[in-house]
Amino acid sequence: MNGLARAVEALLFLSPEPLPLDRLADLTGEAPGFVERALGELEERHHAGTGLELAEVAGGWRLRTRADLGEICDRLRARPPEERLSPAALETLAVVAYLEPIGRPEISRLRGVSADATVALLAERGLLEEAGRAEGGGAMRYRTTRAFQERFGLRGPGDLPPLERFELTGEEAAEIRRRLAEDGHLPAPGEGEA
Amino acid sequence: MLREEVSLAELAVADVVTAALDGEEPWDPPTAGELIVLLAALVDLKSRRLVGEDEDDLEPDAEAEEVRERLAQRLIAYAPFARAAAWLRDHDGAAGAVRYRRVPLDDAAAAPVRGEPALLAAAMDRLLREPPVPSLAHLNTGRVNVTELIHRLRAALRAGGAVSFEGQVAGGGPLREGTTLLAALELAHRGEAVLDQPVPFGDIEIRRSRPAGPAPGGGA
Repeated sequence: MNGLARAVEALLFLSPEPLPLDRLADLTGEAPGFVERALGELEERHHAGTGLELAEVAGGWRLRTRADLGEICDRLRARPPEERLSPAALETLAVVAYLEPIGRPEISRLRGVSADATVALLAERGLLEEAGRAEGGGAMRYRTTRAFQERFGLRGPGDLPPLERFELTGEEAAEIRRRLAEDGHLPAPGEGEA
Repeated sequence: MLREEVSLAELAVADVVTAALDGEEPWDPPTAGELIVLLAALVDLKSRRLVGEDEDDLEPDAEAEEVRERLAQRLIAYAPFARAAAWLRDHDGAAGAVRYRRVPLDDAAAAPVRGEPALLAAAMDRLLREPPVPSLAHLNTGRVNVTELIHRLRAALRAGGAVSFEGQVAGGGPLREGTTLLAALELAHRGEAVLDQPVPFGDIEIRRSRPAGPAPGGGA
């Protein structure tokens, strides 16, 4: 491994936050192209058989432990640092991630249930943060954090699949309507038409 | 509700309300209003099911139909977010258990790397030194007991028949002056003394108004 790759590896090992390419270039005093090549070399070095892996997350590069070692890594801590998220928390995160910045009233309206406790919990876990109020006041708005991007392996704030990918097809929407009608929530198709 | 295939008859409205109100902050009027309308529609549907009425015989309720349509539209509009949540669940690094360094670099570097016993001893000495005892003087400023002043004034009157107000408060501050005046007024109120101030803002003469004897009320 060349000297630059070693330096980049050392910086990534020490850094508690993602280091963007230009920051790595500043720190090492090398051109971004060389740093990029060094990152490639590091990626090869940290192959699947090692305990660490190189990942591009949250706007930069990080060294992290491999997923299969999570349990043993957590023995270093008094308690596991990242607990699983409930379905309600995941849905709230999804709403915020696609519509950020967004206030709790809007989240509640979209989800159909109060989101106050869930938003507070997600903020406490560092996955959401305050993003200020809209001009003219109103409720505090929230956005996702870098910890959110790291946790879900996103390269940056917008690195999500397009929401359109998740939209219902016409057939799926019709299926929902059919089930609503079966349950008596909607008139059966054709019913009520004069 | 629909995703979990819960029958309408088994659905407890109270549970829906509890789930909706699980936050601590007050609702904004539009959200609360919308929830109430949806709950009303739900109760209406449930009551019809529970009573067992033939829905075909019921007059169509345009408002209820509108609410039902909104319910359907809401489910359809929300579906992408529910699916996005499923995508997040599948990409949750915590489930996969990757771990990152979390300790801020400054904190980690703050630990001494090389042993400098003298420096360490000096640092520990600063930490172990007792801090100065905070002054509580402001909590112990002069307290004046009016009852005690009444006794002292009464005794002075018994001894001399009359005393000067300024003589009584000489060397004291405004607090002493105020409380002595209160004591004098109290004696005058009880008929034990007469106050006389010949010159405005001048000295007040406090004279005993009657021969010494038991104070009315048994003393202050």
